[in-house]
Amino acid sequence: MRELNVEALARVEGDGGITVTLDGKKVKSVTLDVHEGPRLIEQLVKGMKPEDDLNVIPRICAICTLSHRYSALLGLEKALGVKPPEKTYLTRELMMLGENVESNSLHTYLLALPDFLGYPSAIAMLNDYGDDVKRALRLKKFGNHLMAVTSGRIVHGENPIIGGFGKYPTKQALEEIKAKSHELIPDAARAVELFASLEYPTYPEAETLFMSVNAPKKKYGYHGDSILISNGKEVNVEDYKKLTNERVVSHSFAKRSLYQDKSFTVGANARLINMGKRLDGQAADLLKEHYSDRWLKNPLFNNLAQAIEMLWSLEQMPDMVDRISSMDDPPIENPTRTTGSGTGAVEAPRGTLYHHYDVKDGLIEAADIITPTAQNLDDIEKHMKLTAERMLAEDKKDDEVRLNLEMVARAYDPCISCATHLVRLKRI
Amino acid sequence: MILNCEDQLVDLFGATEIRSFLMAKSDNHEGELDVALVEGSIATEEQLKRLKDIRERAKIVIAIGTCACHGGPQAMKLGEGKWDEMYKKVYGNAKITLSKAFESQPIDAFVKVDMYIPGCPIDKTEFLGAVSKLVAGKHPYLYKFPCCTECKWKENKCILYEGRFCAGPLTKAGCGAVCPSHNLPCVGCWGPTDDLNVSSEYELLKEKGYNPDEILRKIRKFGGAGVAKLVKDLESKKEAKA
Repeated sequence: MRELNVEALARVEGDGGITVTLDGKKVKSVTLDVHEGPRLIEQLVKGMKPEDDLNVIPRICAICTLSHRYSALLGLEKALGVKPPEKTYLTRELMMLGENVESNSLHTYLLALPDFLGYPSAIAMLNDYGDDVKRALRLKKFGNHLMAVTSGRIVHGENPIIGGFGKYPTKQALEEIKAKSHELIPDAARAVELFASLEYPTYPEAETLFMSVNAPKKKYGYHGDSILISNGKEVNVEDYKKLTNERVVSHSFAKRSLYQDKSFTVGANARLINMGKRLDGQAADLLKEHYSDRWLKNPLFNNLAQAIEMLWSLEQMPDMVDRISSMDDPPIENPTRTTGSGTGAVEAPRGTLYHHYDVKDGLIEAADIITPTAQNLDDIEKHMKLTAERMLAEDKKDDEVRLNLEMVARAYDPCISCATHLVRLKRI
Repeated sequence: MILNCEDQLVDLFGATEIRSFLMAKSDNHEGELDVALVEGSIATEEQLKRLKDIRERAKIVIAIGTCACHGGPQAMKLGEGKWDEMYKKVYGNAKITLSKAFESQPIDAFVKVDMYIPGCPIDKTEFLGAVSKLVAGKHPYLYKFPCCTECKWKENKCILYEGRFCAGPLTKAGCGAVCPSHNLPCVGCWGPTDDLNVSSEYELLKEKGYNPDEILRKIRKFGGAGVAKLVKDLESKKEAKA
């Protein structure tokens, strides 16, 4: 037996690894091991007031913190019969655009790109690709800034609350966002050009299903009340369990999901496959130019998808700022009941994130959180197994196989806190 | 949070020799270290092994973030003995072969810690200030006062005067009193402050009419081991009185 071993899957969020077991050239298994310790968050928030839950659950992840908060807000507001005012709704949308730009710029440039260009890190790319690294940092900083303006600080802002915001962003802060988003559009367009120019190896290619929210009003967006599946079906978010069927596996503290016994993918590629026709502006033109059937088979295109999405997010900001600025600050909407249930579904940068709550007499009775990486784990393993099989059949060197396996895992933008560090290839 | 120091990231990598930083790079070397920054709480045997290895290799160990300093939200029920039951509810009887897991604890429950930089998230200014001092071979200046001090600097209206419970007086400073500055009560995400007698502050809040159970419930969200100790102190005082 031989073991090909990537001791630490670096440049991902969280602690995990990959083990590949080989019998001669035959790949026996590929597993993505999640080493993050169990935190039992869903159990800890039981008995809490909804407002206290909102302080705790964003801490599941420091990158998609606002997605967790927004998904929880949607679930809890449904449970408590709260209809947030238009200004609240739009300010939340703006905050999600900020998180999308921050997380997509971090993942595409700083975490994924070094593999394609042959460097160990984005910092090591500074001499040869200084303009690109600086572009990434500009985009990321702006995304963080918008998250701070809307949510209170760059990570774990507490400002978005049930029924409104503690304090709405000032007109001046919003005007600065508008001006800066305009200024950064060429940077995002350049990012699309760069990620469209990369060569995406064919090794991981295989058909799969893609899931994303169906954003309201037939627009592109990052939340929705139903889920679109690339086979043409649509499912109400309240029925999320039919889609996600969580189960426990022995090599991971993250749970797994299958839809009708099949693995599936969530993320920017899934969103663009399901809702890409709804894009507008330059992002729509660039998607049309760069989209191909390979997107339906090759997870590496998620990198390009994230770049296109980042551009779209920036293009939305000026108009959204104008709409928000024209409105007066509404009072906070209070709960109309103390008992009820609700499910929230938002598109975190790395895919659909569900929060379901049952509230009884003002206290949380049950919480169920299903993260995008947990849903993607089976598809990550499927595409990694194919990569290993095909590369070993071509007698590729271990280092090259390892790199390609890591590239596949990273392409999903896995958030291993929400689910890793290790590729191990075992030969029997 | 370190990757969020966009303006200083390049300088940070220039001023120091970053031997290992899993999230940022893949050419990591695990050897002798001047300074180790450890984030996260300890919840598995594997993590404990790695922590002990880091302690052996590093001259200075700094706990960064509320999880490493206090245990984080996942340690909010420390001392209540309910962990096994909760674990079973999440994972059922499925066997996870990876590594034995246990209730999360801060890193100083297992190894000596030289400095603490709490926060959820840590504050850029405090972190970069500490690194600059360390690079210059000096001891960092770390905040020792409660969140209220920063809140006063900002001239915010006191939320406690409105009758809303705010964890500010019991919580370490460093965030710039961000929640009260948004008209929201402090949620206590820096963990308990250490420059005052937290238990007498707790008594004072009780006298002012705040529900004692509610106070503990609120500060336990992030207070982990620190609040578990406070609860123990309070109980022993009660017993002493009886």
